Amino acid sequence: MDMLIARDVSVTASFDGGIVPVIQELSFSLPAGRILGLVGESGAGKSMIGRTIAQLLPPGFSVASGELMFDGQDLIRLPAETRRELLGRDIAFVPQEPLSGLNPVLTIGRQIDEHLGRLNFGHARLRRERALDMLNAVHLSHGADLLDKYPHQLSGGMCQRVLIAMAFASKPKLLVADEPTTALDVTIQARIVELIAELQSREKTAVVFITHDLRLAAQICDNIMVLYAGRPAEVGPARDIFSNPAHPYTRCLQLSNPTVSGPRRDLYALPERMPGLSAIKGIVGCLFAARCPNVIEACTKALPPFIDIEPGHVATCIRPEATKAIAPPGLQRAELPQAGQPLLEAKGLTKIFKSSHGFFRRTAFAAVKDVSFTLNEGEFVGIVGESGSGKSTVARLLCGLEKSGEGAIVIADRDVTDGGAVSRQHQRTHVQMVFQDPQSALNPRRRVGSIVTQAMEAAGGSTSAERLSRAEALLSEIGLPPEAALRFPAQLSGGQRQRVSIARALCVAPNILIADEIVSGLDVSVQAQLLNLLMALRRRRSFSMLFISHDLSVVRYLCDRVLVMRLGEVVESGPTEQVFASPSHAYTRALLAAVPPDDPTVIWNPRGAEVAAPVLTATL
Amino acid sequence: MRNILPPWLRSARVIIGLSIIAVIALCAVFAPLLAPHDPNEQNLLTTFLPPVWAQGADSAYLLGTDSLGRDVLSRLIYGARVAMMVAVIASFGAMVIGATLAYLAGYFGGRIDSLIGRAVDVWMSFPPVIMSLILMVGLGVGLRNVILAIVIVDWTRFCRVLRSEVLVVASKDYIAAARLVGFSHWRIITREIIPASLPLLITLVSLEMGIAVIVEAVLSFVGLSVSSQTPAWGQMIADARQYIYDSPWNLLFPALTIFFAVFGFNMLGDGLRRTLDVRLTAVQRV
Ligand code: SF4
Repeated sequence: MDMLIARDVSVTASFDGGIVPVIQELSFSLPAGRILGLVGESGAGKSMIGRTIAQLLPPGFSVASGELMFDGQDLIRLPAETRRELLGRDIAFVPQEPLSGLNPVLTIGRQIDEHLGRLNFGHARLRRERALDMLNAVHLSHGADLLDKYPHQLSGGMCQRVLIAMAFASKPKLLVADEPTTALDVTIQARIVELIAELQSREKTAVVFITHDLRLAAQICDNIMVLYAGRPAEVGPARDIFSNPAHPYTRCLQLSNPTVSGPRRDLYALPERMPGLSAIKGIVGCLFAARCPNVIEACTKALPPFIDIEPGHVATCIRPEATKAIAPPGLQRAELPQAGQPLLEAKGLTKIFKSSHGFFRRTAFAAVKDVSFTLNEGEFVGIVGESGSGKSTVARLLCGLEKSGEGAIVIADRDVTDGGAVSRQHQRTHVQMVFQDPQSALNPRRRVGSIVTQAMEAAGGSTSAERLSRAEALLSEIGLPPEAALRFPAQLSGGQRQRVSIARALCVAPNILIADEIVSGLDVSVQAQLLNLLMALRRRRSFSMLFISHDLSVVRYLCDRVLVMRLGEVVESGPTEQVFASPSHAYTRALLAAVPPDDPTVIWNPRGAEVAAPVLTATL
Repeated sequence: MRNILPPWLRSARVIIGLSIIAVIALCAVFAPLLAPHDPNEQNLLTTFLPPVWAQGADSAYLLGTDSLGRDVLSRLIYGARVAMMVAVIASFGAMVIGATLAYLAGYFGGRIDSLIGRAVDVWMSFPPVIMSLILMVGLGVGLRNVILAIVIVDWTRFCRVLRSEVLVVASKDYIAAARLVGFSHWRIITREIIPASLPLLITLVSLEMGIAVIVEAVLSFVGLSVSSQTPAWGQMIADARQYIYDSPWNLLFPALTIFFAVFGFNMLGDGLRRTLDVRLTAVQRV
């Protein structure tokens, strides 16, 4: 029996004085006990669908037509009161950001208890027993202790487990999970997904699983709907969609994601971005036409209809047969510069952070412990690790933002460990850094042109005309139009901001670039653009790079050598291919196991991800 | 038209506040031109005249006269000079000291921060009114000492609020990036941090001006401020207090004037805070 059926649902928003379509022609059916994956990049409208089900559309948005049948009732036309009763009981939600789903000033126990109270779960003792059972079911041991804790005392993964426990408490018929693992570390991600799948199959719950990760969706979902600019691009059985994509967008998404196994292939980088709300209205034909490699004239004449590829597999593309032919351009790795002399050497780096609580209690926490490695000329070295592994601290130590406690840093034959004025000057001309969050890394009050040439401003002796022309040169090198020099960061997209951040680092022509998680939080197609840009810059400028990331596939794509860090220590290092093909440390194996396999027919066993829980602080 | 104006100028509070302050500022600057009489000119024959709209008034004295027959309106207009002078100089003085320490504490952190933080805590443990009275007794009377007392007491307001703002800005990656490209500390503070905290600074100054007006009125009420030759609002209240049954108007007008001045500064400060505070506007947008 179908638990949730969408029939031609469309959602509109009033925007800039007009009505624009946000979701168009959305139709699907989700039987009980099945998982439907909604896949797309940001702006594809996948979260809007979740919000439509919850009737939590932002102000100005409304359902224009269609019906959304849940268990025989149309959610859209249901009186508010009945709907409110359904939500939270028959329809449960798991949010993206676990901390935002919990009230920070109430204990976990209070929140679960209130939730059970709302579900009429008997008196207080019964509710407490039930709460402990629930925590058990999501594999949280020490449930009794947890009940007295506040959300901020738990890790993100634990909070997400609590939310999942609460979601399943009422034995809901439908669960909507909106990117439930995006904010979490890879190994924890895998466990959370596994947990949802486990409870789902036990309770026979229908699940709408919203994600940007096609590989993950192919692995755990029965059916997948790929969305583009608010309209379904392709719908069908998960395996079919993954192994035989019919819509060019699906194919490009797949090709823009680097792999962790098999031969290293080049990335397909879609040009530009998905049209925003204001642009969609003006598009006559296929919404994907502006970026589609297979576009023909007929595509821009009319919105392509739903075309059957196989029974149960439809795509909105008028020439699905051409999709297979899309292939990434060859990047010719052979042309890449060969590694030369050692350029940067870290010897026994150690960083201990001390914090004091009151007068007597001091805790010390070794963020980095005895880390040694070399970076050679023209080489790309990756550091992978999860949060708390100390990888970002290593980056800050190397560029001089943080002083190391012990150990030595030698850059281009000069020991800069002392951190004196001359050393810092030397360090600056050789090492530059690109930061993780481009929002925080760019001063919102400066124009892009002034941001990228800040190094010239610091050095002095340049006129503003000189700086502007240099800014334009740098911008064209990183693929932005010269007019961008006059914009403010707020007027750029996330990917463009990250490019500006790269341009600023390149301004002094450093021979070492340190990139700290620079593609995390970006859409896959934007990520592919940036990764290809780095490859192109590498060929042209032949600098060395230390690329820090939690994403193994990205490191594999970009780097010649890799260091795996855990709790401040390097646990494994070696040539990328070797480490990925035959990892020797248990933690590396766990990290690799946590990534959904590239081939959906391979059974995914994230249980390989079992590692002892880390102990982070030692009290002195 | 509406969109040309910056958002802070579109706020009703800001407009109301600014207009009130503009009127008072104009009075202060052009007092000799605006005042119908010499504020100190006595006329013992026409004491306690009521304002024009009341019975027995003289149209030459719009707001009546006081116990010595001086024109109330003229005294109010001249009184704006003292009030504005104290408001401007004292709040800027407090801002300079408080903000400097706040930037040092927030940017450098560590020992400097805890030292300054301690000083602020100790300072704020004294009740401000008592502290300023003790200071006045120590320093002696006079307008200059009133300003000094306000600066010494109130710099902590700036320091405390601004410091937490500077902490937030200083932790942004663009500050780290500026250090990496070789900006000096001085340059980072002046080019990157001050512009980011300027809205807050302006807001604090306008709120502080309101406070300074009150403090000056209180001190001149108890006779610790300007000499009796200079008209000041607090002094007018003190004078009128003795004759409250003969002429309640004399008490009412300066009190109302002080009220409006403080109201104006607070409206401006509040309006600026609402429109310039990024965190607050972000919340409203959501
Ligand atoms: S209809 Fe045309 S433009 Fe649209 S996806 Fe298919 S080939 Fe590309």
